[in-house]
Amino acid sequence: MSSVSIDRQARLPRGTDLLRFGVPAALAAVLLVFAIAAPGFLTLNNVAGVLVNNVALTAIVALAMTLAVAAGGTDLSVGTAVDLGSLAFVSAIAAGHPVWIAALLGVLAGVGTGVFNAILIARLGITPFLATLGTLFIGHSLQQLTTDGGNPVYVSAASIPPALAFIGHGSVLGVPFVLWLLAGLAFGTWLVLARTRFGREVLAIGVEPQVALYSGLPVGRILTLVYGASAALAAVAGILLSAHVNAYVPYSGNAYLLDSIGAAFIGTSLSRTRRANVPGTLLGVALFGFVQNGLLLVGWNFYWQQVGTGILIFGALLLAFAGRGSAARGRPGAH
Amino acid sequence: MPPDTTQALTASRYPGSPASLRRPSAPRWRNWAVAVGTQGLRAGGLILFLAVLGGFAIAAPAFLTPANLGLILAQSAVLGILSLGLTLVLITGGSDVVGGGIDLSLAGTLGLSAATFANLNQAGYGDGACVAAALAIGVTVGLMNAVAVVRLRILPLLATLAVMNICEGLELVVTENTTVAAASPLLDGLGQTGPFGVPVLGYVLLAVTLALGLASRRTTLGLRAYAVGGHPEAARAAGIVPERYVAASYVLSGGLGGLGGIVSVAFLNSATGGSADMLLPVVATAFLGFIFSRRLVPTVTGTLLAAVFLGSLSNGFQLLRLSTYWVNGIEGALILAVVGATAGLSKGRRA
Repeated sequence: MSSVSIDRQARLPRGTDLLRFGVPAALAAVLLVFAIAAPGFLTLNNVAGVLVNNVALTAIVALAMTLAVAAGGTDLSVGTAVDLGSLAFVSAIAAGHPVWIAALLGVLAGVGTGVFNAILIARLGITPFLATLGTLFIGHSLQQLTTDGGNPVYVSAASIPPALAFIGHGSVLGVPFVLWLLAGLAFGTWLVLARTRFGREVLAIGVEPQVALYSGLPVGRILTLVYGASAALAAVAGILLSAHVNAYVPYSGNAYLLDSIGAAFIGTSLSRTRRANVPGTLLGVALFGFVQNGLLLVGWNFYWQQVGTGILIFGALLLAFAGRGSAARGRPGAH
Repeated sequence: MPPDTTQALTASRYPGSPASLRRPSAPRWRNWAVAVGTQGLRAGGLILFLAVLGGFAIAAPAFLTPANLGLILAQSAVLGILSLGLTLVLITGGSDVVGGGIDLSLAGTLGLSAATFANLNQAGYGDGACVAAALAIGVTVGLMNAVAVVRLRILPLLATLAVMNICEGLELVVTENTTVAAASPLLDGLGQTGPFGVPVLGYVLLAVTLALGLASRRTTLGLRAYAVGGHPEAARAAGIVPERYVAASYVLSGGLGGLGGIVSVAFLNSATGGSADMLLPVVATAFLGFIFSRRLVPTVTGTLLAAVFLGSLSNGFQLLRLSTYWVNGIEGALILAVVGATAGLSKGRRA
């Protein structure tokens, strides 16, 4: 239903195909305007800073969201997976385990969240939005209970293992490790979604699950993989976050939730068929990141930055959605 | 059950579960069991609510005192009013989250309107001006949402997300991220305790519920709003202009966000930051409200009950000196249990 109706609404009239380039155009315009208005904006240092500080983690979480959106859902519990991944990672390191074991535990904690979601969605048939909303609330409680009401867990500065410092701040060939990892994960996700049979199956479920099922697709298994992978990606972001700040800070993952939803959905405008896709999502995240940084450099009051970001996102949405067919606001009952 | 809500709630999208594969040959006893189950679930929300109240009443004698019940009502006022706003949007938008109606900007509206109220109050303006400004802000935000969703055809989820960002940013601009205290005769009045030991804020919540409840259940407008949400094409064929109802629901929702801001200033005697934390509880409350309606659709009274239910959970936990850390988890588990049960049942029903 939902994505079917989205697809329907979204079918572009001939000649408006140019609208697909709304988001890239918006990003180009943003880069151009800030390059002129803020001299330091287009320097290598600044761009690298934006990519590391504003883009990388959000992008990884947004990749997770892209998977869920491609399968016709939304994953509101990405933040929970970020947090639980971070919690498991930092607790394991604080307990003296090697970094690789801690990272494994972190990812496993994320996968646990994803499997829980998958059971709710694929087995019990709960809509992804509500299922993951429930997971989010349960995750909140879980964090309150394990941290005695929200106390951060720190890795003491004296005992930071070198590997942790590398994950958080290291670089390879002059490029920060985080960006290598982001590039790898983005390429992998793109490969899976756009170039494999599995990816086509995911998109098929996203468009019309009933048909996918009757065509013999193992819908339940595919969804389990999708939500498991989504949560695992989010947990990786959590691990990177905690390596960056040498701590687990409760509920910090939710900060990525809305940006990742925005990026994944804005990114759908890049696709002719309005499906979630990795390049679109990355463009969306980059748009958010560069707008924030640009406004900062132009010297906007910190508080006005969020207003500016909101307005610009609104503008990007306008570009992306303008001229959509005037089909009825399609809803489940409509067909 | 109207098809839209059933589907929205039950994710017939994902028919991979065994229940639906068995659908074609469901034996008669199954239909029976399903019928019983459905009736049980319909009453189940209320039974559960009363059971929890009863449990608290036995375990903590202070729970059932009028003063405490009034307090719960007052504590639920802000959450309840915002959730009622979302409920209106769900009624006209259909409850399919991605394609249908949703208003994520409500919490942001609350924050902005509260900040405006408190700031004007500090600047020495009277209650009338403050109230007017707070409500005007809510309605303006609602209008922005309505234009974005109905005119510009941006997905409600995204449009209201962007508007939420704008509201939260403006709130920061207005308050510079500080708590702004406020005091006025109106706020004093709202802070009083009314008849039967129930705080005035509790009565405000009840009054809003009553007005919206009557409008949605007893007027042609309300009936048409449900028609628009249930089946926009059929509504259009019947001569209704769905866009108007959808737009109106966003404007009203924004207005309720504005009202929520005033109520929150009255409750806290100040405008505090962090209103964004209200967003997910509001969404959860509005959807949890479905279980209190017989047809599992968004209703005004259902949302009120859900808000009060969640309020009494935290209140009861506090009285019992249980850790409130559990409240969120129980809330989440409840939503899942209810929605999961509904999903299973309606799958069987459509057999």
